[in-house]
Amino acid sequence: MTTLRQRMTPYWLLAPGLIWLFIFFVVPMYYMGELSLKTGTLTTGYEMTWAFSNYADAITDYSTQFLRAFYFAGVATILCLLIGYPLAYAIAFKSGRWKNLMLFGVVAPFFTTYLIRTISWKTILSDSSPVVSVLEFLQLAPDGRVLATNAAVIAGLTYNFLPFMVLPLFASLERLDRRLLEAGQDLYASARQTFLRVTLPLTMPGIIAGILLTFIPAAGDYVNATFLGGPDQAMIGNVIQSKYLVVNDYSEAAALSFTLMAIILVGLLFYIKFAGTEALMGDEEEAK
Amino acid sequence: MSVMKKSRLLVLAVLALAASMVLVACGGDGGGGLSGSDNSDVTTATGGDPQGNLKISNWPLYIDNATIKEFDQAAGTSTTYTDDVNSNTDFFGKMQPLLSNGDSGGRDIIVVTDWMAEKMWKLGYVQKLDKSKIPNVEKNLIPSLQNPAFDPNREYSVPWQSGMTGLVVRTDLAPDIKSINDLFDPKYKGKVTLLDEMRDTIPLMMAADGINPEEATDEQWMDTIAKMKENVGNGQVRKVTGNDYIQDLENGNVVAAIGWSGDTTQTSNPNIKYVQPEQGCSIWSDNMMIPVGAPNPAAAYKFMNYVYDPENQAQITEYVNYVSPVAGVKEVLAKKDPALANDNLIFPSEEFTKNCFAQVSPPGDEQQVQEVEQAFENAKIG
Repeated sequence: MTTLRQRMTPYWLLAPGLIWLFIFFVVPMYYMGELSLKTGTLTTGYEMTWAFSNYADAITDYSTQFLRAFYFAGVATILCLLIGYPLAYAIAFKSGRWKNLMLFGVVAPFFTTYLIRTISWKTILSDSSPVVSVLEFLQLAPDGRVLATNAAVIAGLTYNFLPFMVLPLFASLERLDRRLLEAGQDLYASARQTFLRVTLPLTMPGIIAGILLTFIPAAGDYVNATFLGGPDQAMIGNVIQSKYLVVNDYSEAAALSFTLMAIILVGLLFYIKFAGTEALMGDEEEAK
Repeated sequence: MSVMKKSRLLVLAVLALAASMVLVACGGDGGGGLSGSDNSDVTTATGGDPQGNLKISNWPLYIDNATIKEFDQAAGTSTTYTDDVNSNTDFFGKMQPLLSNGDSGGRDIIVVTDWMAEKMWKLGYVQKLDKSKIPNVEKNLIPSLQNPAFDPNREYSVPWQSGMTGLVVRTDLAPDIKSINDLFDPKYKGKVTLLDEMRDTIPLMMAADGINPEEATDEQWMDTIAKMKENVGNGQVRKVTGNDYIQDLENGNVVAAIGWSGDTTQTSNPNIKYVQPEQGCSIWSDNMMIPVGAPNPAAAYKFMNYVYDPENQAQITEYVNYVSPVAGVKEVLAKKDPALANDNLIFPSEEFTKNCFAQVSPPGDEQQVQEVEQAFENAKIG
């Protein structure tokens, strides 16, 4: 028979996390939600008017920037996956004694701040740089520039979020039981079949975690669009930033933030339903 | 679905929510307790013996390296000088929640542009100055800045530096740009930038189209913003930028920009030049003010007085290269560095600024101004 003390243990363990979430997530969310339904200005104060029109305005006025944010983040996530998977695979299986060094290489850019890394891309991609000259020669930069184009912003997002994709992929590849691969070979599966039917399904949790960790922050990012993009690359994060800090229209900024969150959350639920919780929890779940 | 899976899904949803919270983190603290205020109960900053810590917020590249140290030695203070003002609106957005509670975040002096100084004064965020504490300002403030429209008797603001907004051009790449409208010449498509401060960009565009910015109507502001939106949308304007336009000019990404007069002297490229637009420039000042809740106004007065001594000011001017508000600096510099003393960007002649106007804001009350500002923000994203 368990004592009360034993039964309470999990709650005690959960408490710090829950309190943290409550103070820094639930409470601010409540104020943001309240603010998004008010009208007024910073200087005259805000009044609660249940202004659901803030939401209607947010969506109709800035649908372009919403769609663009999801498009950029989506392309960047796919690129991260295509670049990140082989990289994580190589580190996990082929790197031998270089493994730690290679992992360090993935994380090393984080020793410089995000902002500086993004701004250095501005120099690398400036109109007169060798990179752009080569691209122009190859007819890949039609206006003679890379900055202030979709490609620049997507490249920036891909670069900045790549480690968020590589690390979970590496973790799941590393955990993979090598004996399963040997078993596959013993049963006359080709390398390709082994990969598709053993490695890929078993690393699904890593892939999904990587996609979530990359896509969600990328969709709300505004730093890359600010520095590498032009007016036609403004993402929803830029709109929210300008609403808060430039126009000081807090209500509509809050409404925009909530709309973005809602869209991502709904998308996420569909994604999980589609991908299945089994895939997310992997072998652990199947073992039960 | 088993109970186990359901609870996992829940945990996952909470995690996802937490992750998406990152998206709304910016500015999230502005939510509660916003309230209006006015300047009916404004206080005068009191002075005493200056000592202790003085905290100043100013714009980047706006002071030389020696002045603060020398001031601390002379006054017996220890000064924390931070260049955390990057844009008037950003700074206001960050400071407003503090200032509305009578707290300046420890700052004793803040420096903002004319229109923002007026806005802060009207909201009761700054204190009235006791002029007996700043005799050098009384004595040396140049006449043209003594009675600005927003603060006719200089009751709460003391100019830090002044400057002109006009054209900044790569004269080797675009020698023929003389007027603001030349920026919209199709041959410079994708090679020009505008400033993201509405009060810099729009009045210059209006002047170029023959509208007097000082008398412009709401409609004329909106029409000009529409013209800007068109040029941003069709790719003529590459970007709408803050301070960073100068880097784009340096590496040739951009050949001409609306920019500030002092910036050209801070680049190494001699081909980057300030060009006075044919239809005139806009003249502004950044002003020192003592915010409400300033912990050490005595030291703030001491500092204001110190930089209004022509000798001390000359040292700042030599580094900053904007228009100095202090009389007598020209004479000091004439001895040290005659080239600077004759520079039209630092000591502009009347001829040089004959078409210029004081920086203006859109007409109307706060609500109307916010609508114009919103239109400008929307024009920035094409």
